[in-house]
Amino acid sequence: MSLPAPPEAVLSGHGLVKRFGATVALDGVDLAVGRAEAVAIMGPSGSGKSTLLHCLAGITRPDAGEVRLLGQRVDTLGERRRSALRRSRFGFVFQFGELLPELPAEENVALPLMLGGTSRREAVQAARSWLGPLGLDGMGHRRPGELSGGQAQRVAIARALVPRPAVVFADEPTGALDQATGHDTMRLLVEATKHNDASLVVVTHDPSVAAWCDRVAEVRDGRVQRIR
Amino acid sequence: MPATLALAWRLLRGGGGRGLLGSALTLAAVAVSTGLLLFAIGANHAFQQRSQADAWRHPEKAAAAPAAIEALSTDYVRGRPISVVDLAALNGSAPVPPGMPHFPKPGEAWTSPALGRLMKDLPADRLAARFPASAGTLGRDALVYPGELVIVIGRAPADPAMTVDRNASESLETTAGPVRIDRFPTAGSSLSGAYRVLMAIASVLMVAPLLVFGGAAARLTVARRDRRLAALRLVGATPGQVVAITVAEAVLTAAAGAVAGLLLYAAATPALVHIQIAGGGWFAAHLWPGPLTVLGVLAAVPVLVGVSAVVGLRRVVVSPLGVARRETPPRLRAVRLGALVAVLVSFGAVSGSLMSLGRAALVVLLVFLALAFLTINLAGPWVVALIGRATVLTARGPARLLAGRRLLDDPRAAWRTVAGVALTGFVAGFLALLNAPPSLSVDGTRDPHALRLNLPPARAAEVAEQARHRLAGTGATVAVKEIKAEDDPLAEHGTVTRKGVVTITVPGGAAPTDRARTALAGLVPGKVATSQADEDVYGNRLLGDLRTGALTVLFVSFLIAVTSAGITGASAVLDRRQTYAMLRLAGTPLGVLDRARRQETLIPLAVMGGGSLLTGLFFAAPFATGFGTPGLLTLVVFVVAGFGGVLGASALSRPLLRSVTTDPAPRPD
Ligand SMILES: Nc1ncnc2c1ncn2[C@@H]1O[C@H](COP(=O)(O)OP(=O)(O)OP(=O)(O)O)[C@@H](O)[C@H]1O
Ligand SMILES: [Mg+2]
Repeated sequence: MSLPAPPEAVLSGHGLVKRFGATVALDGVDLAVGRAEAVAIMGPSGSGKSTLLHCLAGITRPDAGEVRLLGQRVDTLGERRRSALRRSRFGFVFQFGELLPELPAEENVALPLMLGGTSRREAVQAARSWLGPLGLDGMGHRRPGELSGGQAQRVAIARALVPRPAVVFADEPTGALDQATGHDTMRLLVEATKHNDASLVVVTHDPSVAAWCDRVAEVRDGRVQRIR
Repeated sequence: MPATLALAWRLLRGGGGRGLLGSALTLAAVAVSTGLLLFAIGANHAFQQRSQADAWRHPEKAAAAPAAIEALSTDYVRGRPISVVDLAALNGSAPVPPGMPHFPKPGEAWTSPALGRLMKDLPADRLAARFPASAGTLGRDALVYPGELVIVIGRAPADPAMTVDRNASESLETTAGPVRIDRFPTAGSSLSGAYRVLMAIASVLMVAPLLVFGGAAARLTVARRDRRLAALRLVGATPGQVVAITVAEAVLTAAAGAVAGLLLYAAATPALVHIQIAGGGWFAAHLWPGPLTVLGVLAAVPVLVGVSAVVGLRRVVVSPLGVARRETPPRLRAVRLGALVAVLVSFGAVSGSLMSLGRAALVVLLVFLALAFLTINLAGPWVVALIGRATVLTARGPARLLAGRRLLDDPRAAWRTVAGVALTGFVAGFLALLNAPPSLSVDGTRDPHALRLNLPPARAAEVAEQARHRLAGTGATVAVKEIKAEDDPLAEHGTVTRKGVVTITVPGGAAPTDRARTALAGLVPGKVATSQADEDVYGNRLLGDLRTGALTVLFVSFLIAVTSAGITGASAVLDRRQTYAMLRLAGTPLGVLDRARRQETLIPLAVMGGGSLLTGLFFAAPFATGFGTPGLLTLVVFVVAGFGGVLGASALSRPLLRSVTTDPAPRPD
C-alpha cells in the first residue's frame, strides 16, 4: 500500500525496484518526504531499509521506478550529476567510516564546503560555528580517533548539515553507541535538521527514536508495509 | 603452533578479492626484490668467475719442478685484442690447459670459436697467416666470455718465442712471461680487480634501495592486516599469537615471492648475458651463483620479510587500540635529519684526502655510500612530515589539504611510495659525475695508428731492415728512433733505459694495418707490433664499461623505484578504500580524489628526489672526472623519467581507485 506524496514533497520515490542477483531488495516502494519532515524507516534486518535509503540518496540506481528531488528526476542523472547533487543537496550520517581519520574535526566538517568551492578560511570558519551548538566546543583540532563515539557522530552531523542540504540521510547513526548516548545524539540530529529547515530520512531499529520523527515507514520484504 | 599456522593460512586465503590482491602485491614486490638481489649477487659472482677463467693465462713461477713454459702476448685484429698464449712442454708431466683435451704439441694452434670463425672469414693475409693452422677449438673453460678471441700455440721449449721476455717494454697486463710453470693458476687474475671493486660499489647502490623496498613490501602485509589483527587482539589473542599469525602470513607470501623472483631472474638471464663489459657478454652459467647461495637467498628473503613484519607490528601489539583508532601520530624527531647531516659533514671532511688513501679509500667510500642510503632513508619520513605540514598550512583547495593531511598522518607510508625514486636520485647524482667523455686524449704528436716495436737499441736497425723487406710494395714506411725510456709513456720504468723504437706507418686504415701485422708476425718472436690506438682500447673500454655499469645500476634502481611506486600506490588505495568510498558517497568527484592521491606522491617526490640527487652529486664530487654533456643528460633523463615513471606507475592504481569507489554504499569491511 502506498500513500500519495504530499504536494509539498521535497523528495519522493515511486515504484522503486532493486534486485541483487536473485535477491529482491526493493519490490516497488513508494515514499515521499515533506519539507523539514523527519521520516523514520524501520523493519527487520535484511528487509531493504539501507537499499531504499541508497536509492533515494542517488548512491544506488534503482532497477525500476523514479526518484524526484523538488519535482525533478534524479535517478536518471549521470554519475557526475548525482555526485554533484549528493555534494550540494544531501547530507549523510552513517554508522561507520564517515569521518576522514587524517583530518581534524573542523576540517572534516569544512570539507563539503571546500569541495563545493568555498575558500578554506571561510569553510573552516563556518565549520567552527557548527561545533558549539553541537556541544563540541574546543574539539575542532582533535582527530576522529581522539573523540568518543558520540562526539564523532556529532561531528558527522555537523558535516552533514554544513552545506545546508535539502535532505539528510542517516543509516542507523547511533547503532554503535550505548542507548543513552544514542538517544542524545539522535535527538540532536532530529532537532538540528529541523532547525535548519532540512528533511531527514533515518533508518533505525529503536522505536523510541522513531517516536521523535514525524512519520514512520515500516519496510518488510522490500515493500513499505505501513506508514504512520 | 599448527593452529596458528592454520589460522594464518585461512586469513591469507579468506582475505577476499581485495585481500588477495594485497597479498599479490606483496608477492610481486618480493619477487622483484629477490630477482634483483640475485642479479646483484650473480653479477659479483660472474666477475669472480671471469677472473678465475682468465687466471690460467697469467703464468706463475713453478714452486715444484717446472713442467712447461707459458707466455702471454696480445695481438690485434680490427682493433680487437687477441690473447695469444704460447706453451711449450718441458717433460711428459706438462699440465693440461683448461678447455683443451691435452697439452698442445709444437706447431699446433687451438683457437676460440670466435677467433676460428674470424680466421675463416677474413682473408688469410689479414689474420690467419699470423698463426699456425688451427688444430682444434678451445672449450668454454679456456674463455672469459663467449665471443673472446684467444689462441693457444704449442711450441718447442727452444723456440725463440718461448725465450723472449714480453714484459720488457709494455706496461699493460696484456703480456706475461715466458715463465716456467708446474700448473696453471686458478686463483683469479688481477685483470678484473678494478671491475670487481666497481661491481661492489654498484651492488651497494642497487641493494640498499632494494632493502628499503623489501622492508616496505613486508610492512605492506602488516598495514593491510593491522585492523584485523587489532580486532584479534581485542577478542583476546595474545601478542605472541598475533605476531605468529602475521609473521606466518608474511613469510608464506614472501616465500612464494622469493621463488617467483628466482624464476624472474632465470627468465632475465638470456637478456642479461648480452650486457657488454670488458670486451664481451657473459656465459649464462657465470651469472648463476652456486646452488647454496641461491638457496640461501631463497631462505633469507622470507626471514627478512618476517623480521620487517614484526617491526611493523610493534604498534599493534603494544596497544590493541593503537591502530584500530587513528590518533595524532607522535612527531618524528629531528634527530633523523641530524644523522644525515652528520654523515654529509663527515664525508665533506674526509673527501679531500680520500684520493690519497689508496685502496682504503674504496672501503671508506663504500661505508659512506651505505651510511648515506641509511640516513637518507631515516631522514626521508621526517622531511615528508615537514613537507606535509607546509602543504597543510598553504593548502587552499580540498585536494591539497587532503594530500597534506595524509603526508602528515603517515609520513613513513608516504616516504615508502617515493623512497625508491629518491634513492635512485642519489644514484643518478653520484653516477652523473663519473660519466666521463668516451675517448681518452691521445698525444697529438704521434700517429695513434702507427705500429711500434720496442727493442734493444742494437737490434733496432736490423729489425727495421727486415720489416722494410717484408712490407715492400705495401706503401708502409719504417722508421727507427732511439729514445730514453722516460720519454715513452708506455714503457715500464726501470726495465730498459734506452731502446730502439721501430715505427711502422701504414696508410689506409684497419685492413692494411692488419695485413702489415700479419706480414710482421714472428719478425721479433713473442713480440707484436702495437699502436697507441691498440693500447687505448683498454682505457676506452674501461670508460665505456663504467657507463654501461652506471646505466645498468640506474636502470635497476629505476625498476625498483617505479615498481615500488606502483605497488605502494595500489596498496595505499586498498588501505584507504573506506575513506575513498566515503568521500565518493559524499559526492567528491573522482578527479579530486585522484588529484589528492597524485599530489600526495608528487610533492614529496620533487623535494626528496631533488635532495637525494644533490646528495649524490656531493658524494661523487671528489672523484669528478668532469661534468660534461653525458652527465647532464643522465640527470635530465633521470628527472624526466623519474617523474614520468612514478606518474605512470601511480596512474595504474587509478582503475583500482575507480573500482573501490564504484559502489560507494557503505558496509563494514
Ligand atoms: N551489494 C549487495 N549485493 C547483494 N545483495 C545485497 C547487496 N546489498 C544488499 N543486499 C541484499 O538486499 C537485501 C536488503 O539489504 P539491506 O542492506 O537493504 O537490508 P537492511 O534492511 O538495511 O538490513 P539491516 O537492518 O540488517 O541493515 C538483503 O537481503 C541483502 O542481503
Ligand atoms: Mg542496513
